Amino acid sequence: MAEPRPPSGWFTRVEHLAILGVIAVLVAWAWHGTEFDLAKLGEGLPRLAEFFTRMVPPDLTVAETVALSTVETLQIALLGTVLSAVASLVLGLLGAANLTPPWVHQPVKWLLGALRGIPVILLALIFVSAVGLGPLPGVLTIAVHATGMLGKFYAEAFENADPMPLEALQSTGASWLQTIRFGALTQVAPDLARDTLFRFELNLRESLVLGLVGAGGIGFYIQLYIRAFQYDKVATLTLVVLAMVIATEQLSVWVRRHLR
Amino acid sequence: MAFLADPAAALPGAGRAAPGAIPALTLEGVEVRYPGAARPALSVDHLTIGRGERVAVIGPSGSGKTTLLRLLNGTLAAERGEIFVLGKRLVPGRRLPREQRRRIGMIFQDFALVERASVFDNVLFGRLGHAHPWLSLIGHFSDRDRDIAGAAVREVGLLEQLVQRADALSGGQRQRVAIARVLAQEPEIILADEPVSNLDPALTNDILGLLTRASERRGATLVMALHQPRLATAHAGRVIGIGGGRIVLDEAAARLSDDALRSVYGRPFAVSGGAAK
Repeated sequence: MAEPRPPSGWFTRVEHLAILGVIAVLVAWAWHGTEFDLAKLGEGLPRLAEFFTRMVPPDLTVAETVALSTVETLQIALLGTVLSAVASLVLGLLGAANLTPPWVHQPVKWLLGALRGIPVILLALIFVSAVGLGPLPGVLTIAVHATGMLGKFYAEAFENADPMPLEALQSTGASWLQTIRFGALTQVAPDLARDTLFRFELNLRESLVLGLVGAGGIGFYIQLYIRAFQYDKVATLTLVVLAMVIATEQLSVWVRRHLR
Repeated sequence: MAFLADPAAALPGAGRAAPGAIPALTLEGVEVRYPGAARPALSVDHLTIGRGERVAVIGPSGSGKTTLLRLLNGTLAAERGEIFVLGKRLVPGRRLPREQRRRIGMIFQDFALVERASVFDNVLFGRLGHAHPWLSLIGHFSDRDRDIAGAAVREVGLLEQLVQRADALSGGQRQRVAIARVLAQEPEIILADEPVSNLDPALTNDILGLLTRASERRGATLVMALHQPRLATAHAGRVIGIGGGRIVLDEAAARLSDDALRSVYGRPFAVSGGAAK
């Protein structure tokens, strides 16, 4: 008698082939739509090589200017992250389906979705026209844009909290806020910290391009030097940016690993 | 045939509290039905539990023990009937006010601790119903609250684990923390939902002994849902048996017989052990 085994293979193989077929059609559609052309890329390689050749040696005379604007970028990302974390805490709590009734959490989820949907450059342009050039519109852009994602992550963290300790605290006579503070927040604190650090890394990278539209930081110098064909200065700038991004990522990874 | 119509009515001592006791809990004509269920999950014509009583609620899985406890701590609303806790009527669908909730302590089957918090903090959470609602949010608890929490930790024998996180404790230690949290609450009623079913059998007597001594010392009413009649008779003064959502047994623990248990479990059952062979 044959040993029992899971239902076989033929149908599963057809399913796999069908999935692969759908993926192939989608890739072909995107390839065609974007006029993706490897030959064109090959033709551009000499120009790319020239670009990199003109980057060496890096012009270190601009190191101080670059360092100062890098610090400003870091400050924009830091303040933007803190502001978005505060907003996300409130919106995350209100948007958690296990903590608030549907007439509260559903509109909050829509709001967070809308915030995520606005492109960061569009937000930056809006804030630049509202409050003028400089780091302030950068901070506001990062804060608003990051809240869309961080608020969603916070809400999901609260929704994944074990409900039993919350019920236990409520039965001791704890108020809603006390239950959230000691039951939910204590449980999900490492998740919130991890999400926030991850978002800080993203914010730092997004802050780099905000300068392109006048919202402060190193991006201003990126477009300035590239337009002036000063690739050796761009090289210095790239090295500083790379060092900052890698250092922040390493620090973030280390902190996240030690959160429990 | 009145016995068949209402098994509880035919039982000696059914629905009455110990003589002279002031009611801590009263249920009148209560019925709970879960959505889509053909029959009520729990139906109680009349039940009174006096203050300071030690009551074990026994019955097979799904018989309605947890439903009864959840009704009594206000987390479940009855479809009909009236429930009085410490003389106050529970309003269906409305959460109990803070002052009322802190008078009823609840011990959960799976401990329900805040795993990342220390033993002391978990016990201190038992004071949340007494602490200042705003100042406590920034971690401010009065010296009295801290003293009471510390004394509760000592009472359950966990002083050495005071600053240890709950997730680093054994099952028995966790249930001790849960008991200490309830003791810190200074409740007048303690409800325990199968407090030892997740524990090593060797620990069950220790934990139940601790719970009954602590509640007795405070004069609190103790209502425990238990799986094993042997534990019920050893640690309670009164045993209430639930079968198929109805109270089919209400007897002094000392007088509990194998025949009475048969009415609860629907098959032979020995008071001293488990299911008879």
